[in-house]
Amino acid sequence: MIASNQPSVIKVRVKRQDGPGQAAYWQHFDIPYEENLNIISVLQKIAAKPITRDGQRVAPIAWDCGCLEEVCGSCTMLINGRVRQSCSALIDRLLEDSPSGEVVLEPMSKFPVVRDLVVDRARIFQALKKVKAWVEVDGYFDMGPGPKQSRTQQEAAYPLSECMSCGCCLEACPQYAKVEVIREAGESEEAYRQRVEAANSVAFIGPHAINQAVLFNSNPTGQFKKAERLEALTEPGGIQVCGNAQNCVAVCPKHIPLTTSIAQAGRAVTVHAVKKFFE
Amino acid sequence: MTNELTFIQKHEFLLRRIHSLTGLVPVGLYMCVHLITNASILNGVEAFQNAVYAIHSLGNALVFVEWGAIFLPLLFHAIFGVYIAYSGQFNTSSYGTAKNWRYVAQRITGLIAFVFIVSHVAHMHGWFHVGFWEKLMHSLGLAQFRAYNAASTAAMAMQANIVWPILYAIGIAASVFHFANGVWTMGITWGVWISPAAQKRADRICAAIGVGILLIGFSALGGFMTLDAQKAEDIENRMYTESVNTGRVVPNAKKLTNPKLLEEQAGTAKP
Repeated sequence: MIASNQPSVIKVRVKRQDGPGQAAYWQHFDIPYEENLNIISVLQKIAAKPITRDGQRVAPIAWDCGCLEEVCGSCTMLINGRVRQSCSALIDRLLEDSPSGEVVLEPMSKFPVVRDLVVDRARIFQALKKVKAWVEVDGYFDMGPGPKQSRTQQEAAYPLSECMSCGCCLEACPQYAKVEVIREAGESEEAYRQRVEAANSVAFIGPHAINQAVLFNSNPTGQFKKAERLEALTEPGGIQVCGNAQNCVAVCPKHIPLTTSIAQAGRAVTVHAVKKFFE
Repeated sequence: MTNELTFIQKHEFLLRRIHSLTGLVPVGLYMCVHLITNASILNGVEAFQNAVYAIHSLGNALVFVEWGAIFLPLLFHAIFGVYIAYSGQFNTSSYGTAKNWRYVAQRITGLIAFVFIVSHVAHMHGWFHVGFWEKLMHSLGLAQFRAYNAASTAAMAMQANIVWPILYAIGIAASVFHFANGVWTMGITWGVWISPAAQKRADRICAAIGVGILLIGFSALGGFMTLDAQKAEDIENRMYTESVNTGRVVPNAKKLTNPKLLEEQAGTAKP
């Protein structure tokens, strides 16, 4: 399966950053070509021999990864300018699509950089907490088995449940602006986290959270919290921030019908808000 | 830690929904009615003048309708719209889908439409119908429209300088795109069309409406660009004299191009 025009080296350009709030800079690496590499294996090769194209020995690149099969979302980054999981980004495919023959790696631009390709994705999970993206099952007594769900309902809910909170939809969303709070000198972790949460709480929750609100509002047990979820969707940074660019659904690696969920949530909050106004 | 919320943050949902609603009613609907009324020039000077008489039959209430139902909602939609446009970050260079381009176009056409409408209202209407202001605007080549010489003043204003029809063509095209695409996104925002298939169907309907309104708008523009203003004025003056005599029109010198001429005519006509 070796194409005749296979390069001898893979040119990799990485956007690096030594710590939160610091200036980013680029480094170039040349990796001997091998078949069937993905971005993670390229990063492993650079880590084993962290020498730039100029022959300079540098600190190994920091990156995040987990499952290596596109279900955990932690290795999400910008690859040749587009957001996707690095585990499922195959070098051979990238070289086919990239006329420059270069692979460019950058951290996601909508989240604060921790170091190199590692970003702080806490805001993703804060948004899930805001819309109560769970089913309440705990209590002081046995609540018994949940109500039966129809086949149709299950089939509608399953695609929505595939979200792995990777952040692709948020990275591609033109309405989702980066929120970065720089830690002050001598500030405790707790005080810093509180400031981060306060800043995040008024910023856009994003399509993933809207989708989860729709998923759990469609669940017979999840419906107990329906009004609270709809209320959360109309708070500052709620569904109203959506600008209908529909990039979320275009980049979602799990092909979740995010814009359908957004429209469904739009209808639900319309009804909820009108009812509330006249009640 | 508590956050001090700004007014916009506190009422973000309501403001966005009002912004969305005002885009359709009254602003969008008004634009359609306005363009259709203007296109009546293709039926002749009389048809257009009669349409303007009908609007001006509101008399003293007209200023309240103008400001309450048109200018204020429009200003809210436009100013809050500028805030919305600047709160987004365009990224078509990385994600060049058609929908993403339309997101960008919606914001750019909104800004164009804002500039166009401000200058269009200045050009024809003058913004404020207060004596000294109106005189000042008229001397600058603005505030050109006279309701009882509707077609002739509109035509002269349009034919005064080639810049105007160009500005109007761009302005109408931007406004109509903004309206048609806005109706489509509004349907998603309010949850009217939900599934991708339904959104596609709605998209086609909105596109058809947009093309229709655009044709109507350009027809009106072409009608005024090619109208013989002198002939039109003669027709309007005849209509005015007769309409005043039959009580259909309340005499108002400010709504005429040449009130003295008509006063003389009215004077001779009286027994």
